[in-house]
Amino acid sequence: MTDPGPSPSPEQAAAAGTLAARIALKQRAGGILVPVVTVVFALVMSGIVLAATQHSVHTALVAFQEIFDGAGLNWIFHPTTNLIDISAYNLSQTLLQTTTLILTGLSVAFAFRCGMFNIGGQGQYFVGLVVANWLGVDFAGMNPFAHILLCIVAGTLAAAAWAGIAGVLKATVGAHEVISTIMLNWIAFWVASWLFGAGGPLQNSTQPTVPVSNQVSSSARLPDFWGAQGFQGVHVGLFIALAAVVVFWVLLNRTTLGYEVRAVGFNPDAAAYGGINVKKNLVRAMAISGAFAGLAGALDMLGGTTNYQFGQLDIPFSQVGFIGIAVALLGRNTALGTLFGALLFGSLLYGSFHGLGSSAVIQPELAGNLTYIIQGLIVLFIGADVLILYVWNSRKKLRRPPANPAQPAKATAA
Amino acid sequence: MSTWAARLDNPLSARLRDPAATGALGIFLGAFAAFLAIPPIEARTVTWPIVVGIVAVALGIWTVSRGRRRLGWGAVAAGVLGIALGMLATRSSTENLGSAFDATLVAQTFSFATPLVFGSIAGMFSERSGVVNIGLEGMMLMGAFWGVYGADKGGSWVVGLLVAAGVGGLVALVYAFFAIHLRSDQIVGGTGVNFLAVGITGYFFVELYHNNPVPNGVSLLPNVRIPGLSGTGFFAQAIGDLNILTWASFALVILAYVVLFKTPIGLRIRACGEHPRAADTVGINVYAIRYGCVVLSGILVALGGIYLSEGPQGNGSFIFNMTNGRGFIALAAMIFGNWRPAGAFGAALLFGFSSALALKLQVYSSSAATLFQILPYVLTLIAVAGVIGRTVAPAADGKPYVRQ
Amino acid sequence: MSDDLVLEMRNIRKEFPGVVANDGVSFDVRRGEVHALLGENGAGKSTLMNILYGLYRPDGGEIRLAGKSVSFSSAREAIQSGIGMVHQHFMLVPVMTVAENVVLGSEPRSGVLLDERVAEKRVADMAKTFRFAVDPGARIEDITVGQQQRVEIMKALYRNADILILDEPTAVLTPQEASDLFEILRTLQREGLSIIFISHKLNEVLEIADRITVLRRGKTIETVPSEGATEASLARAMVGREVLLRVDKEPAQPTDVLLEVRDLHVRDDRGIEKVRGVSFDVRAGEIVGIAGVDGNGQTELIDALAGLQKIESGTVEIAGHALTHASARAALDAGIGHIPEDRQRRGLVLEFSIAENIALHDYAKPPDAKWGWLFPKRMVQRARTLIREFDVRGGGPFTRAGGLSGGNQQKLVAAREIARDPSVLIAAQPTRGLDVGAIEYLHRRLVAERDEGRAILLVSLELEEILSLSDRILVIYEGRIVGEHTGDITEEEIGLEMLGGRETAAA
Repeated sequence: MTDPGPSPSPEQAAAAGTLAARIALKQRAGGILVPVVTVVFALVMSGIVLAATQHSVHTALVAFQEIFDGAGLNWIFHPTTNLIDISAYNLSQTLLQTTTLILTGLSVAFAFRCGMFNIGGQGQYFVGLVVANWLGVDFAGMNPFAHILLCIVAGTLAAAAWAGIAGVLKATVGAHEVISTIMLNWIAFWVASWLFGAGGPLQNSTQPTVPVSNQVSSSARLPDFWGAQGFQGVHVGLFIALAAVVVFWVLLNRTTLGYEVRAVGFNPDAAAYGGINVKKNLVRAMAISGAFAGLAGALDMLGGTTNYQFGQLDIPFSQVGFIGIAVALLGRNTALGTLFGALLFGSLLYGSFHGLGSSAVIQPELAGNLTYIIQGLIVLFIGADVLILYVWNSRKKLRRPPANPAQPAKATAA
Repeated sequence: MSTWAARLDNPLSARLRDPAATGALGIFLGAFAAFLAIPPIEARTVTWPIVVGIVAVALGIWTVSRGRRRLGWGAVAAGVLGIALGMLATRSSTENLGSAFDATLVAQTFSFATPLVFGSIAGMFSERSGVVNIGLEGMMLMGAFWGVYGADKGGSWVVGLLVAAGVGGLVALVYAFFAIHLRSDQIVGGTGVNFLAVGITGYFFVELYHNNPVPNGVSLLPNVRIPGLSGTGFFAQAIGDLNILTWASFALVILAYVVLFKTPIGLRIRACGEHPRAADTVGINVYAIRYGCVVLSGILVALGGIYLSEGPQGNGSFIFNMTNGRGFIALAAMIFGNWRPAGAFGAALLFGFSSALALKLQVYSSSAATLFQILPYVLTLIAVAGVIGRTVAPAADGKPYVRQ
Repeated sequence: MSDDLVLEMRNIRKEFPGVVANDGVSFDVRRGEVHALLGENGAGKSTLMNILYGLYRPDGGEIRLAGKSVSFSSAREAIQSGIGMVHQHFMLVPVMTVAENVVLGSEPRSGVLLDERVAEKRVADMAKTFRFAVDPGARIEDITVGQQQRVEIMKALYRNADILILDEPTAVLTPQEASDLFEILRTLQREGLSIIFISHKLNEVLEIADRITVLRRGKTIETVPSEGATEASLARAMVGREVLLRVDKEPAQPTDVLLEVRDLHVRDDRGIEKVRGVSFDVRAGEIVGIAGVDGNGQTELIDALAGLQKIESGTVEIAGHALTHASARAALDAGIGHIPEDRQRRGLVLEFSIAENIALHDYAKPPDAKWGWLFPKRMVQRARTLIREFDVRGGGPFTRAGGLSGGNQQKLVAAREIARDPSVLIAAQPTRGLDVGAIEYLHRRLVAERDEGRAILLVSLELEEILSLSDRILVIYEGRIVGEHTGDITEEEIGLEMLGGRETAAA
């Protein structure tokens, strides 16, 4: 746990303003404590809901055990690479889910670091998915390496351009990125529905009545590195996602681009004074943010996570872009934090779907909804920095009560 | 980058941003819509006149909500007329299309617009007081589910309405606490509310109804038949048999206008959204006003939600995540309508019309019908881009207020 | 004018962390008088008035209104007790009408509705009575600043204020508007209102006030009737006769012109022309000080030189190279070093480490970076050297800049700017809010840099600082250079010019 050290009075800094500054403040205020507390709190709350509605604390505890096992996390007790083993299989599926969430999480995190809230990860994900499907189907028979590369690069760039629209609107006319990314989300949503729907351009050519896309040709499919005949394996996209975590970190911390992004995110005035072109950075950061989400979509399509195709009816149920918001917030918008956040939500999503899907104690259909509740609680509470700071400060006060009488006086004056 | 900005400031776009130009363009497009369907162009499908007509109507609404009323309503009328004439013209050539465009389309438009009107007025109260409410979608969903639940257990749609309003208000109160007292980021908080609503409604839908439709015979929101307006006449079909909440939504628009712009409390609400410090210095309790507005916002949008499940389209059944973005369309309608009741109402009607049309078009081309759904979002995106006219949110919208 | 006191403030004390803003201030107001509160920036005028208006709670002392002891915990209570305040930054809702703004919070009603007709009529009546010439139906954003100010006054009158506080009311006005305002104030005075007029412009105070109270460094210096007071006597009271912070320095040996400014015009963000035809040179090896009261165009002048504000017309040259419409980047590259006046808002990214802040201008150049790749180790190395050289205390290269004390933050900024080896160094308020040790350090450093052959432009609101450091002094008033001095000159003389005294004297 990080020591908060001699930081300035939180009230003073909280009033300071920009989103990124507030996030930085929270980081100092609680380090990893805050996310951990938030998660525990959300789990306890949802446990209470479970226990209350099922009239049994035991049921709630069993349910959480089932989620844990369902996510394959019990694999660590008896590791094996054999997918016939249920825990190994579950773990592999959790990893697939995590792959996507790492990237959608990085997407939201990157924009945050430039002081923007990219709420459009879902739409950018669809753009990557659609473009990868289109090229993956159309250029069948290409050299696999070239084909995969083409699909991934095109999907990523298309999503970058899509998100870039919001960046351009913000830089030029000051349109708030939250509004424009929400609109872009729904436009992508319906365009994808149209493309994959009956009569749509990308709709299945062999079954004209089924509103689903063609399958990506074998030349564009990502190879599995952990798989077995008859099982959905874990594709190499996981490594791409892990590489993206590294890229994210390197980009932000080891390049001049990242320096500019962070400076603009923390303090646009100081950035401009330092000679940084703020508008350019807003557009660029938004595009990079979109690229991560687009990459997620392309990998899901090419890796077989969605069975190499996508249906019109799958679209409303795809939430990975939105979950990316929770992942990033939980991960404090850092590379490593996002990785852990993705792992947590990946486990929750697959674990509840699979573990509770065959639960002995509760109705299987409750599973996914429980995940939404947990997710909602996490997002709601992680945004409440004042509450966190208040708790944090009163904890310090409790520890050494008479030490600093000036502190409470200042707090009331603010 | 700077060149783009510079280009946006050149005289041409400046002229385009003037409401007068927007209105004139709308009138022109309305005429053009009608022209499209007749020789020499003679579009084979009715789609083009409709699309152009809708754009004309949109421009009109835009113009109205930015102050040039006469011109704006002129453009709306031109657009509607253009669509009608276009339809008439194509109807003569392609017979079967005609059935798509009749009085029921009007009724459907009102029906689709109802939740949007509630939602956009709800958002307006919240944002006019200075609190952004991205959680509209979630609150609407809560209204949809708990409304059915109330009607089912309480045995009457009235109970359903009360329960929906109560739950909506409660969720909004929680959100208000986070947004106002905890000064949590309002976008993050709203997103949390949206997730939470999906989870809670989904969970209790399974828990209470085992994912099955609510049993038949649930008391539904009744329609209001206008005495003397029955049969197959145009007006009878268009407005003779609308739902009680649809009528309520009309009343709400007028009420919202009066409250926001004609009463002391409305003046105070707007002051809190524009310049909370100024409001505070004359003794207005900014926090109280904001709490009140956010809670009211939750109640209203939940009423929009119950219309989805308990109204004529929902027929008393809840479906997982049944709002499906309608809360966001309501948000879009509010923005499109420039945070004004009449503008939001116009936008809600326009968006409702495009949904109604999409439903009708389904029969002919489900593909085109799907694509039609993007219209509200594209129009709103263009609106916030400020290429034509300028969207002006309340100045302190989304900014937590810290008392001195 | 009668002698009964409507307001007495006795021994008011107010401390902020590290500063005593009011130190036993006493002040009273008679019925129907205009009482001016005169003092430099930071003398404690605004604090005193914010206490009276209920925005701050005093740490000590007593406030009596018409003989009765009061204690306000909010502006609302002050308003109810008949105190009205016209803030320097208007508390008006720009998109609402004049009438709406005036009645906000205590609206006339007819039933549940807002009675707009009554509201407009009452505002119109008020405007007529006091000859305000404001249309009640006009929107605030469409009327002039002077009219907006009248709306603020009407807000106070509408709430039956009998004491009206005006916080530097003429700062935002044109001379014509200012004289209109004085007319209004005289009318109000005749109606029996008491007016507290905060200002630091001597001529105005002498023109409008009946009595004048001078504050300096949180203390009451004197309260005098304006009859008999002179600009010179007031300036002396305001500025004081204190020992200067001596800076040992050799006489300057200026050589080439490094900064040349010709007929510069700059508008601020609101489009108001703040720099109106400024021309001057700064040579290598000299410190040129710009003296002036806050808000006379200094900020815009500096920002224009640093490429942060658009130049309307005129030219800027650095060592012979035109730099008139350059970006901030180009200005930096041309050799401008800039210690900005607000180090927290602009000078530093508080969340960044010391090392990252030192790289703020040159993060993209070797040795910090090459081909877009950062070398944090080199940044840290450089930071270490500069921390030692400039004696930045309280942390190492990885410490957050926001965690440093004000003095060390400023040393950090100075270190960055000086280490870039600029030919022209602009230092705006380099010692604001610092302790004596840090001030001395920075002063010595600036002199040393002068001796290294840099051209230094010093902008400060502290006259002492200007006098003790500058080799040449320019006085700026309302966007123009109104005086230039090289030899010995007293504070009073410069003070007079800063306050526009010479203009009135000439006129």
